[in-house]
Formats: sequence, C-alpha cells, structure tokens
Amino acid sequence: MSPGDRAEGVARLRCAVAAIEGRRAATPARAAGRLPLTGALDRALGGGLAADGLHEIAPASPADGSAAMGFALALAARFMAVRGRTAIVMAEDFALAELGALYGPGLAAFGLDLSRLVFVRAPDAPALFQAMEDALKSGAPAAVIGEAWRLKSYDLAASRRLLLAARAGGAPALLTAASAYGAAEAFSSAAETRFEIAAAPSAHLASAGGGRGLPGAPAFAVRLVKARIGAGSVGQGADPTRIFRLTWRSEELSFDEPTLSLPVAAAADDRPRATRA
Amino acid sequence: MTDRARRAHEIDLRAPVAVVATVKNARRLVGVDANAARLGLGVGLTLVDAQARQPSLVVCDAEPEAEARLLTRVADACARFTPLTALDGRDGLMLDVSGVAHLFGGEEGLVAEVEARLARQRLTVALGLADSPRAAWALARFSHRRVAPAGLAGKDFARLYHDMPAAALGLDVEICADMARAGLRRIGDLALRPRAPIAARFGADVIARLDALAGEERGAISPRFSAPELSVERRFASPIATGEAAFVALARLADDLAALLERHGKGARRLELMLFRVDGGARRLQVGAGRPLAEAKAMARLFAERLAGGAEEEIDTGFGVDLMRLSCLVAERIAPAQGEWERLEESAGARALADLVDRLSARLGTRRVTRLELVAAHLPEQAFAAAPAALGEARAAGRRNRHGEGRSGQSWIASPSARNDEACDAPTRPLRLFERPEPIETLAEVPDGPPLRFRWRRVLHEVAAIEGPERIAAPWWRRPGAPTRDYFRAEDALGRRFWLYREGLYGRETTQAKWFVHGVFG
Repeated sequence: MSPGDRAEGVARLRCAVAAIEGRRAATPARAAGRLPLTGALDRALGGGLAADGLHEIAPASPADGSAAMGFALALAARFMAVRGRTAIVMAEDFALAELGALYGPGLAAFGLDLSRLVFVRAPDAPALFQAMEDALKSGAPAAVIGEAWRLKSYDLAASRRLLLAARAGGAPALLTAASAYGAAEAFSSAAETRFEIAAAPSAHLASAGGGRGLPGAPAFAVRLVKARIGAGSVGQGADPTRIFRLTWRSEELSFDEPTLSLPVAAAADDRPRATRA
Repeated sequence: MTDRARRAHEIDLRAPVAVVATVKNARRLVGVDANAARLGLGVGLTLVDAQARQPSLVVCDAEPEAEARLLTRVADACARFTPLTALDGRDGLMLDVSGVAHLFGGEEGLVAEVEARLARQRLTVALGLADSPRAAWALARFSHRRVAPAGLAGKDFARLYHDMPAAALGLDVEICADMARAGLRRIGDLALRPRAPIAARFGADVIARLDALAGEERGAISPRFSAPELSVERRFASPIATGEAAFVALARLADDLAALLERHGKGARRLELMLFRVDGGARRLQVGAGRPLAEAKAMARLFAERLAGGAEEEIDTGFGVDLMRLSCLVAERIAPAQGEWERLEESAGARALADLVDRLSARLGTRRVTRLELVAAHLPEQAFAAAPAALGEARAAGRRNRHGEGRSGQSWIASPSARNDEACDAPTRPLRLFERPEPIETLAEVPDGPPLRFRWRRVLHEVAAIEGPERIAAPWWRRPGAPTRDYFRAEDALGRRFWLYREGLYGRETTQAKWFVHGVFG
C-alpha cells in the first residue's frame, strides 16, 4: 500500500465517521466558525478552534491546574471579544475548594469583562455536565467553561451529549479536566480537541536591582493531544510530541508565540522590546 | 404539647399524659391532656404532687424546639384556609379569615373544618373566631362557644365575655394577681367600672386590651408570609398521589395564573407553589425569575427545574395532595417590546441568557449562579463580591452602559502594572484565590527578604522570578493590630506563578515572619 492510498483510506474513513455522526462533512459554514489562535496552532487545528465544538483542557501536572483554567479563560475571552456576548464559567464545588475560588480582580486583570461573565457552582460532576449542556443548548453564551474534578461520570456518552449541545447552540464547550493531570492521552471522549497545558516560564523582565527578574505575561506550554479536523479541511492534526509555547496578552486579548522560548538576555532598557511574532 | 408527646412516644390513647418542665426550681406540669384534666390535674402542679395523686400518669419532658416545629408545620397546613397565618406566642396560631369563611360554608363551617382537619392529625385544638385577634384569643381559651357573631355589643357582648376570668385579657400573671386582690376577678368586673381609676392603678394596657376585646380597636396580626399578589388554586375531589399528575395540575395552574397576569398586564418575578397533603403536611416551593414571566410554560418549567435540582427530591405526595396553590409573590409590569429589528435581535439574546440564568438558579439555587463585582477594598479577599445573577442582571447592564466599553472597574486594578513597564501585561492579581491562605515553608537569604525557594503542598518550588513587595495593610480603622501583609508575585523554574505574602512587618510587628500562598496565577 502506497502512502497515497493510505491517506485516501483515512480520508474515506473520516467521511464515514462524519456521516455516522450525522454531519455531512466539514461544511464551509463550519470551517468559517473557527477562532484563530496563533499561526502554528492554527495550522495544526486546521484554521483555528472550532466555535461549536467540545474542547478538553487537561493540566500536565497537579500544579498546572490554574494554568489549564487560565488557558480556558483566555480562550473564552477571545470568544467573548469576537462575539460580544456573555460567557458562563462553571465549576464543581470540589475543584474550587481544591484549586482556589476564581478571583474577580484577577479575572479582570487577565482581560475578562466581569460584567459579561456568569459563574455557576455545581455540587457535583453530573450536575455540572447537565448545566453545561443546558447553557450550550440555549445558544445565549459566547462560550461555556466547565471545570470538572470527578471525571468518573465523564464518558463517551457524556462528552457526546456536550458535543451535540455545543453544535445545537453554536457555542464552544471548554471542559477543564482539573484532576486528569498527565492523563490527557488516557481518556477517550467525543471531544474535537484536547489540549494538555503546562505553565511555561514567562519572559522575565529585568529587575532594577539586578537580581532575579520579574515575572512577565502568562505563558503556556500547550500540547495538542487530539485534534479531530474535518476531512475536507487542511490541517496537520494532532502531534503529541510537539509543544507550542504561547504567551497571553491580556490587553490585546490574543496569544503570542514568542520567537524564543526562553529569554537569553534581558532586553535593554533604552530600546524597544523584541518584536513579537 | 401533649399531642406532640403522644405522636412522638406512641402512648395509649386512654392514658393521662402530662408534659413537665422545670419552672421555679421545681418540676412542674406545663401541659396536660384531656384525660389528665378530667382526673383533676392542672398546669402548674408539681410533678411530685401529680404523681402522688395519679400514679398512672404518663410523663414526658417538654421540648420547646420540637413543639415550635410542630406549631410551624400546623401553621403551614393552615395556609390552606387563608394565606395570612401567624404564630401566636408559643402555643397558638392566628388566622386572618376575613372574606374567607363563605368558602367553607360560613364561620361555623370553617371552624368545624379546621377542627376536623387537625383532629385527623391527632391534634386537639381549642378554637375561637371573633372580630378581633384578642377576642378570638380569649374565646379559644376561656369559652365553650367558638364563634362570636360579628358586631357584638351591649348585652350580647356582656353575656359572652363578662364571665371570663381576667386572665382572658392576656395580661401578665402579676397584674392578674393584683387585680384579684382588689376583687376584680372577671372581665365583667372590669368592664362595668369607671375606666380612669383602673388605668391609673393597673396600667393603660388593661383598658387597651378591654377595647381590643370589644372590637373597638382592630388589632392586626403579623403573618408569617405576606399575602401574594395573585393566586390560583385547585382542589381535588380525590387526592392526587403521583408526581406526574401533580405536574399536569401544575401546568393547569400555570395556565390560570398566566391568564390572570395577562389581564393585569404583569409578569411574575417570584412564584410560589404550595402543595397541601391530606395527612396535613404542606410543602412550599419558591422560584424566582430574572425577567417578568407571563408564559405558563416557562413558569411550569422553572418548577420542574427546581424539582429536578437534586437539592430536594421529587414532589412528595405522601397519601395524596388535595389542594395545590400557585401564587405570584412579586409581579412586575411587563415593558412593551421595542419595535426595531436590531433591538429585537439583541433582546432575544439577552432573553435567552436571562431564561438560562433563571433555570440554573431554580435548579441549583440562586447562590450558586452569580456575577462577580469588584469592590473598592484594600484586603484582597474583600475586593470582590458575588451577587446572584438572577437579580443582578439589570444592575450589570446599567454599569456596562455607563462605562461604554464595558471594562468596568478594570482601570484601577491594572494600574500597578502600568507603573512598571508599558509593554508588560502580566496580571497583578491571581486568577484563583484560596479562601484560607495556605502556609508555606520558605528559605530566604535574609530574614525579611523574598524567598529563594518554598515548599507548598509538599512540593518544593525554586523561585526564578519575583516581584514585590506590594504592601497591603489591614484596615486598622476596623480591626486594629492586624498584621501588615507584603505580597510578592513569584514564578518558579517551571513557570508556575504564585501570589505569596509575608504576614507582619519584620522587626516591628513580628520576628518570626510567616509566609502564605494566597493565590495562583493562570
């Protein structure tokens, strides 16, 4: 079997899967509903993050839980900016107790408009998924973030329900699996995309005293573990070995790809900062 | 009291029962049932005396909380007769039955119905119905007649009330004793004497109560729940016992209420459903709506959400529900819709969101569905407030308009970062804040310096970059002596960012600096 035959076979199978899922194929309308993130990530995702899909976000290690939520909130901020609507942030009680409650001034400093956020606390995971489904189906929010801790009830059926609700309402579901650190490859679900997020060293700024630097803008190391892109669209797909480094610009509400992953030397004070990618 | 004891302890129906409590350093009877009363036992007797006279007496301890609970339950059950029910002291209920009696076949019929309903729950009650609360109170406790005709005066009044003891005025025991010493034992003794000397000697209260009894002054009761604006109810000839049937009935009630609301041009903001069971139980369910609701389906759906919420089980019909009442507690005028297409489109989105928030609030509770607002406070943990989203909708929208762009309150939050570097947009506040700051072990070069490394949740973090201190003093005008906090933003070698603080100024407030993690950045 030549490589060409194989690619064709894969494409055929993808069409078959799409047909089973009641989706004609990647229609142009759906391809248009994608949110661009950054150049390299968009190429892998086939033009950006689907605006009506289920995207899972898992932390790489226990200490990266807040980085994962930060990434989800950054995505929501972008969706809110594009659509000009309210986003809904839901979390399981236990996740909030374990990882800390979401902090209003911090969210505002992160670039989120508090008057356009609604927070929902769910007593347990099934209630969380039910609430997410209802929110997605209503078609009102720009995005729905759900932070789940107990993932026992999150299976193929549950994720499929979320995906269908996202399709029906045309809003993205961003599910943060807070307790699934390091297990991003392990669970199977109907999600379109799965990210594994770790915190990344930020571009430190020189401190006046010449000692240790000052922390810079939030940076993420993003691993795209799963990317289901339509057969017709052009995308590289998931490559779990590749790590994208992104920096969140809370003023511009956009991601940056730093040209250098780590600052080699501090920028001179009398010169403009290094050009952004 | 004795009824509660009987219910709780399964006592033989023929046995005399008394409830005792410690009064004036002795165990005394505070309640006796009819059997015990027939044997000559009364309230106030010491337990020793009572047992000496009647060895077969069944004695139970008084439990004020349980009795209060029972009384509240009875009050709930009595809400089927009138929406205005009030607790009267520790042992009575007041029902305002103005304009209600004809529904039960006159006042006599109403009293009989109340007694029959309560007797079915094995409750013995003394009832009285009169023009004023005070008269009804006296009638229930000191007379065999239960209904006083309306507009009683002169001879009729005298016949009914003058033979009652003075205690029927509900006065203090001491005043009653004083009056008895003066030979004033019955109400008639007081009513037929000049008023001024009595008021001078025993207080104006006596005269005021006498007037209240005569219905000259109409006292009001303070009901437990205010009367709803609009209310519809359905009675079932045969009680309904299944949850599905209850939902069908609820849908019908919602239709009725929607029609009523439409006639008034109003929508419901707060709804209450009451289910009265044949066994005397009553259940109240309330739901709120973010915008005035006028559609029957939306109302029924809110209740369905509430019942599906898991906080409470499905409708417990018990032995059957024979009366359902749907009330609109708060109604609001519905603003007519704007004509323009664009506005229509926008308001459709807002309405969808409001509906969603209502449904989630009904299911999970309003405290779980919130919006966050910034508060101008120095202490970080007080710098924001969570307001229920179902109510805060209008407020948030108002503020968005005022600020134009909608980044409310962000300007002062972002100011510390603007000072450092124009291009640096590292947030100065963490994404997540721990409700309780978590203590950490730190290692620093100098005692009051920033840490080189720290251990948090059993993991060692090497600090690669750190910024601080940002000094935040506790509000000394409220709580003097609280330690000052120095906040640092620290990033470890792997890029995780923490918000640390040191409690107390080194050398001035403390010598043992304690460090905490207060939050984490995204």
